[in-house]
Amino acid sequence: MSDPTPGIQRTRSWLVTLHTIFAKELRSFLCTPFGWVLLACTMALQGFWLQAAIQTMSKATGEGVMYYLLNNIHFWFYFIFIFPLITMRSMAEEERLGTLEGLLTAPVTTTQIVLGKYLAALLFYITLWLPLLLYPWMSDIGNWYTQLRYGIAPEGRIIYHPADWYGPISILTLCGSFFIALGIFCSSLTRSQIIAAIICTCLMIMYYFTGRVTELWGEFPAAPLFHYLSCTEQISAFSRGLVDTRPLVLYLSLAIFTLALTVRVVDYRRWHR
Amino acid sequence: MSMVVAEHLHKSFGRFIAVRDASFSINKGEIVGFLGPNGAGKTTTMKMLTGYLPPTAGTARIAGHDIIRNSLEARRHLGYMPENVPLYEDLRVFEYLQYRAKLKGICGKSVRAQIGRAMERCGLTERYRNLISTLSKGYRQRVGLADALLGEPDLLILDEPTNGLDPNQIRQIRELIRSLATEHTVILSTHILSEVEMICNKVIIIDQGDIKAADTPAKLTHDLRAAGRVSIEYKGELEPVVRELEAFEPVKKVLVEGPLPDGWQRVIVRAEPGTDTREKAAAIISAHGYPLRHIYRHIPTLEDVFVEMTRRD
Repeated sequence: MSDPTPGIQRTRSWLVTLHTIFAKELRSFLCTPFGWVLLACTMALQGFWLQAAIQTMSKATGEGVMYYLLNNIHFWFYFIFIFPLITMRSMAEEERLGTLEGLLTAPVTTTQIVLGKYLAALLFYITLWLPLLLYPWMSDIGNWYTQLRYGIAPEGRIIYHPADWYGPISILTLCGSFFIALGIFCSSLTRSQIIAAIICTCLMIMYYFTGRVTELWGEFPAAPLFHYLSCTEQISAFSRGLVDTRPLVLYLSLAIFTLALTVRVVDYRRWHR
Repeated sequence: MSMVVAEHLHKSFGRFIAVRDASFSINKGEIVGFLGPNGAGKTTTMKMLTGYLPPTAGTARIAGHDIIRNSLEARRHLGYMPENVPLYEDLRVFEYLQYRAKLKGICGKSVRAQIGRAMERCGLTERYRNLISTLSKGYRQRVGLADALLGEPDLLILDEPTNGLDPNQIRQIRELIRSLATEHTVILSTHILSEVEMICNKVIIIDQGDIKAADTPAKLTHDLRAAGRVSIEYKGELEPVVRELEAFEPVKKVLVEGPLPDGWQRVIVRAEPGTDTREKAAAIISAHGYPLRHIYRHIPTLEDVFVEMTRRD
């Protein structure tokens, strides 16, 4: 292990290099209009469907607002498109610009590149849901205003439990950890962002309908498998507060598998050109 | 000490063979020029040396580290500037260099010091805050070069470093490369032959995937067929002069280019490389009493070498 040039402070730490790539990727989300446009659009859609969710909630009783927010078809309308949008650039852009060559001729492994990009995209994805945490606070303001305006009227108060938020946030993070990996995998297949986004959207829709197979076919011998994979059922359960460890195993193992596959694909495309 | 040793490097893309059995070695402190026509395999060879493209067969060692088995260690010893210099458009110059420096494992106070030094050497100091997307071609080229210099690598691999620059910039880059040779080993590829003649102390000529020659420019031009060629213009009879010239020992052949429109004769004398037949030729012509107005010994250039080695006839 010879040191290339003495007199220069160097590190060989695997994590430091990973952090460098992670920080650069996160920066490219937060220091470009891209990230903010995506954040603004997601927030606008969340607010839009919040209104619809409150309408439903006022008729039915029993569940928290998060349940009504996540368990309707509107939610899937934008949820599916978040992933291709976040991840379509990651590897495809790198390859189109030719900067992948620069990355891979520096002392950096493919695993570090893929993992760095993945973690940055995942963190950005989680920040997309942070505005949900504002809802309790907004409810407080609403309650305070009601009290000020109409005096104490218990039936006019918005009732919420902070616990309503734990389940939804954790399932969104969990399935996101797999879907982001899936998006990065799609991005590594091509040098065109558009094609990456199309493939990713297609896979997302397929995965979504895998979870609804039992609704169409009823119960049959292989049905438990489809229940196990069903993202809609998991979101429904988690947002009612039924936190389960099976999705944890499912999504983390799927994410790790997909990322490992991505590393292989990146190397394969370079080796077989 | 050898900085680069390539052993039977071979690369094929499907049926197309890009580089065929390339073996060469490059010593520390040398500036090596890769020459060859378009599509000859220069870039492929360089990409294999950087570890970006894996060779189909064979291997290479950089500073003693195998580029396949010990790729990360080999990459720590090299700075690479790819052709057309791909850069992140949305970063500023110093941000980009900071990112690259950290990727190369530089940390602490050295990051700033290394960036400062690289920018200074490449004349980027005034542009350090510019967005890369706003830079001109010449400045992008310099950013790529500064990137390659980060961390003072032992080996610099520069793919067409002067491509797309104006003559002044080419001169600056050439000076820079020459100054680098004191501490670094440099491999560069280019189409500009005069450039190679000026700065390189070793030339590797590649054509159609084959290494045709690997030597110093002086040695290559010395052994050339064109080396002993002398052209003569005089006024007088053709036949006796040609006969006497052909009788002279190092002369291999006398080509008659015929009478020029103004009545003067032009002959080309082909002789052994490294000989000078001018004195004898002049003596023969003046012995006949013919007037002589032009006698010129062709000084072979790298261009002649290049043309002779890569000619397709």
